[in-house]
Amino acid sequence: MMSSLLVRTLVSYLLVFGVPLILPVAFVKLVGLGGLRELVTYEARDTPLHRLDPRLKVLYPIAMGILSILLSWKFMLIVFGLSILPWFWLRPSSQRIRVLTVMVIGPAIGGFWSQGLYYLPSPPIHFLYQFPPTISWLGSPGLTTYGLIFGLEQTARVLVTVSTSMLILVTTDVSDFTWAFERFRMPPQVGFALTAALRFLPEMVSRTTLVLRAVELRGYDLSRPRWYQVTRWPDYVRRMSRCVVLITVPLLVGTLRGTTTMAMVADARGFGAARRRGSLKQHQIAAIDIWGYAVLIALVVTALVLNYLHIGARLYG
Amino acid sequence: MLVTGASGCGKSTLALTLAGLIPSRVHGELRGKVTFGGRPLSGLKPYEASQLVGLVFQNPNLQLINQTVQSEVAFGPENLALPQPEIAARVSWCLEVTGLAGMRQSATTTLSGGQKQRTAIAATLAMRPRILVLDEPLSDLDPVGAQEVLGTLRRLARDEGTGVVVVEHRVDEVAPWADRVVLMDDGRIIMDRPPRDAWADQQPWAKAGVGIPDLIRLAHAVPDAFPAGVPLSVDEALDVLRGSWFEAALARSGAARGDAAAARAAGAYAGVPAVPVLSWEGVSVDFGGNRAVDDVTLAVNAGEWVAVVGANGSGKSTLTGLTVGLGKPSSGVVRFRGQPVRPGRVFEHAAQVALLLQAADEMLFETTVIRELEFGGRFRAQPADPVLDVEGAVEFFGFRGLEQASPWELSQGGRQRLALAALLVGAPGVLVLDEPTTGQDAEHMRAFLRLLEAIRAHTGLTVVTVTHDIRGLASRASRVVLLGDGKVRLDGPASQVFAQCDELARWGVLAPPLARLQAGLLGAAAGEVLLDVDSLAAAVLAHAPAAVPSHGGTHPRGSAAAHPGARLDAVPP
Repeated sequence: MMSSLLVRTLVSYLLVFGVPLILPVAFVKLVGLGGLRELVTYEARDTPLHRLDPRLKVLYPIAMGILSILLSWKFMLIVFGLSILPWFWLRPSSQRIRVLTVMVIGPAIGGFWSQGLYYLPSPPIHFLYQFPPTISWLGSPGLTTYGLIFGLEQTARVLVTVSTSMLILVTTDVSDFTWAFERFRMPPQVGFALTAALRFLPEMVSRTTLVLRAVELRGYDLSRPRWYQVTRWPDYVRRMSRCVVLITVPLLVGTLRGTTTMAMVADARGFGAARRRGSLKQHQIAAIDIWGYAVLIALVVTALVLNYLHIGARLYG
Repeated sequence: MLVTGASGCGKSTLALTLAGLIPSRVHGELRGKVTFGGRPLSGLKPYEASQLVGLVFQNPNLQLINQTVQSEVAFGPENLALPQPEIAARVSWCLEVTGLAGMRQSATTTLSGGQKQRTAIAATLAMRPRILVLDEPLSDLDPVGAQEVLGTLRRLARDEGTGVVVVEHRVDEVAPWADRVVLMDDGRIIMDRPPRDAWADQQPWAKAGVGIPDLIRLAHAVPDAFPAGVPLSVDEALDVLRGSWFEAALARSGAARGDAAAARAAGAYAGVPAVPVLSWEGVSVDFGGNRAVDDVTLAVNAGEWVAVVGANGSGKSTLTGLTVGLGKPSSGVVRFRGQPVRPGRVFEHAAQVALLLQAADEMLFETTVIRELEFGGRFRAQPADPVLDVEGAVEFFGFRGLEQASPWELSQGGRQRLALAALLVGAPGVLVLDEPTTGQDAEHMRAFLRLLEAIRAHTGLTVVTVTHDIRGLASRASRVVLLGDGKVRLDGPASQVFAQCDELARWGVLAPPLARLQAGLLGAAAGEVLLDVDSLAAAVLAHAPAAVPSHGGTHPRGSAAAHPGARLDAVPP
């Protein structure tokens, strides 16, 4: 039965297109447009993570990113574990965990799966499932074991940076980012741009949700067909594409109005008045910061030394 | 100082000029000059000007840049590179005077409307301006939020000596606290007087198209009841009227009205069969453990105009959104003409129930007025018996000659009319309006409510209005439903619901001034209140004693004739 060309073709199409389809479905069902707010919304709490020196927080994802590039797969697993640990310390809300999981794991699965399909090692190739010619013309001869493992490695490397960056975003007030950037001699506009983006991204998500609601209230059909209503899907795609055009005008008008006001507010509050800004918080290095810096430096130095000694170094070529 | 005038009269432009943002940040030609202590503000950099005159913009959402209350307030002083102790002192002071000391670590996204506006005020104050200018600070706030903000401004002016300029069209709420009232019309200041004299001549107000507060109109209609001059607040009016002939006459008229109302109610409810168009049957809605709507059972009958009132967060919008499938009840069922409303099928139910969002601008998507009106017809089947067709809508809503104009060329009121017209074309049996008059000046609000009355007369539509802004609606809605904490707390004719001022206040709703006045004078005996000035004045004068009253020194009936300005027909509507 499994050897029948038709069945093999069907299974192959399912593997190629079915798994990636899980991602948008998971997004719609578990996150939604409104859930995107949770991605970058600062969680105003008073935890040791919140109190860490902002400079350390800026350096943390960079350092972990370097480790993830330098180290071999086995050592990378340790780094990956280290990057996940602080989340247990933070204990975010279940809603945020759900959103973060979908938004981080989703693309990770996508990357892992695509490598399994399209990364071709040197022969002999071990196929988990070899595609028949009815689909291999698309470019993938099948799902390979090595490709999946390679995809897993690459995904874990990306996840280290994503996870550490997300952790910092939800535990750091943007004014602290601005302060840290300034201490790194970066222009204050960089900090302000980040501030504005992080502050108004959730606002933009809310406005988009509102405008989409308005489109429906005007009688525009945004309903999704069931997965098995195959003939309705092209019409759905057409309706959604047209909807993007429809909502652009009100979103653009609203955004431009908002940015004009925000620029005037920033001007009126003296942004750019002095070369070096002051700070409400007295950023004093505490014992926990010293430990943090020490661990971070030790990790990077260790990785560099190991790399130099060809122990646990990532192999290229 | 209260600066008021109709929409588009130049109030906000004046505020931007006062803050030195014109022409440096807003393009325009500035003639003349604005000076502070002899220094021309227009020549200063915005951050220099803002340390003399601080401007709080209308929408707090757009002026809160940072993520926590304290970092928002500290943003200005940090930009000025002040020493840390000075920044900390300013932040503490600002949070203290705005009543936000306990919320310094709160995320700005979690604040209520009133708290956001106070945070914006605190952030502006942190620049230590000598004058604070606020552009329509109350426009999106419910009465509770408005009182929070006004209380803050009062403290600033009284205790801190900060000059406060409030640009606002909610005149009746601000006037009691103002020292000066400035009226603008067509870009010019046409009046500048202390509040007690500001309404002595009503012509400028009529010319500017700005409504006169009900208490002032009452004082002009019954001048002998207010010998010391016009009252600016309900408390002031109560002080004057307690024990006066007005109170006695009101009590007599109230008793007479009570009998008539009972007879009217008996007739009305016995004779007319109620046909529910919309109904909520034991409906509850939960959001992540918070109950927004709690076991509501309610029916709206054909042809009714029901006003759903309540403070921000009372569940009004959630409740009415269910009628078009926005959201899903945790329990219970919502029906339209007996059929259950299916959650999520918004576009289907939109053909039966038209819902106009508060942000009407967000409901316009097309390039011309006519395409906007044709929008619904392009995407869904039209009913055989449309409420309005496109041509009818162009005529009825006054868009003849503007068919090819861009919606964005219309005034704000025009855009709201267009969004309403587009919803009504072809479609619904019920019109639901979410905060339709919030942020509008009195003239635009009256025009909009007149339009609604005309639509009802023309189409026989059932109307449900969701609002915390009860100006104007009070005397027009046939029924008022008060929501508090997601439950129906009061439900009845407006004249009876607004008589229960304490219950309304308990749920964050401020009854109209006339209702509070009558309830204050009659107490529990005020089972029904009159909600328009003409009716109240006529009722009181009809029951005034024949003997000379204690106030005024003349017979009240005689006084109306003796004071030409006191005649009812002389009072602008």
